[in-house]
Amino acid sequence: MRKLEWHQWLLITLFLVALFFTGLFGFRAVRRAIYWHNHRDEPIRSWMSVPYVAHSYRVPTHVLNQAIGLPPMQRDRRPLREIAREQNRPVETLISELQDAIIHSRPPNQEPLPPPVSTDGGPPR
Amino acid sequence: MNISDYVLSTLGVYGLPVLFGTLFIGSIGLPLPSSLLLLVAGSFIEQGDMSLWPVLGLSAAGAILGDNIGYALGRWGGRRWRGRISHLIGGKERLKTTEEWLKKREGMSVFLSRWLLTPLGPLVNLTSGLTGYSWPRFLVYDVIGEALWVTLYVFLGRFFSDRVQEMSEFLGDFTWMIVGLLIAALLGWKLFQHFRTPSEAQAKAKTRDYLADETP
Repeated sequence: MRKLEWHQWLLITLFLVALFFTGLFGFRAVRRAIYWHNHRDEPIRSWMSVPYVAHSYRVPTHVLNQAIGLPPMQRDRRPLREIAREQNRPVETLISELQDAIIHSRPPNQEPLPPPVSTDGGPPR
Repeated sequence: MNISDYVLSTLGVYGLPVLFGTLFIGSIGLPLPSSLLLLVAGSFIEQGDMSLWPVLGLSAAGAILGDNIGYALGRWGGRRWRGRISHLIGGKERLKTTEEWLKKREGMSVFLSRWLLTPLGPLVNLTSGLTGYSWPRFLVYDVIGEALWVTLYVFLGRFFSDRVQEMSEFLGDFTWMIVGLLIAALLGWKLFQHFRTPSEAQAKAKTRDYLADETP
């Protein structure tokens, strides 16, 4: 084998580092895709709003609103962090309450109840 | 607190200005979650909380403006570094060859670093300015690339509107994999050339061996 100069060694090292880097991120991407294929739900994060969580978990918004003490029919676009701050409690508690509500509204548990009928002067029947 | 979560939180409350500002600052080179923000905006459009055209227009405008700031910084601020860079890579001649090499590939690298190799975007803006790449050309590739990026990510966000966080993490890993692959390919090509054409020292050694064999 011929003798290598220092810059060739450097080049080989960099090449191997780049290969390792590619493999690592490729592996992570594939692992995520597989996980994704098997689990439809993504973890609830503090930036998400209640309507987004409802959309993500395919649960009616009013069920989640009720679970954390918001007016049921309101479309509140604030992030969970903001709501938690307003309610003066940690966002983790809020998230676990949402998770509970989601589990209870899915089979084999009961189907969610219909949205409550508004009492503030709805159209007469 | 996580900066990414903070920026995302403000999108739902303040809407479009957050989108414009984040893409503008992110394109200059500060690490902000621009891609994730575009995906979330796409999801908000799908849910009826934002409208498509203002999102596309303002995001692209923010990104393009940021890129041009980066280009200007390279062009007018970077002249001072030329001396140092030239010293670093071994003389003015070497700098000139490198610049020529870069200039030939600048259009493609501007275009690709807008939407596919996004982590390289701010660096390409700077080098484009530094090497004196023509501004109108830079702008054309920039506008086409950013329009593609913004549209692609917003539509991915609309399509995967119920799982943008997951989507963003996947796209992040995927993008870095492509960047790694490109760097590995470039280095691999360089290595291949090195081993095909022996260096001067090796050529000398070969001649010496040859002469030694000849003499009894």
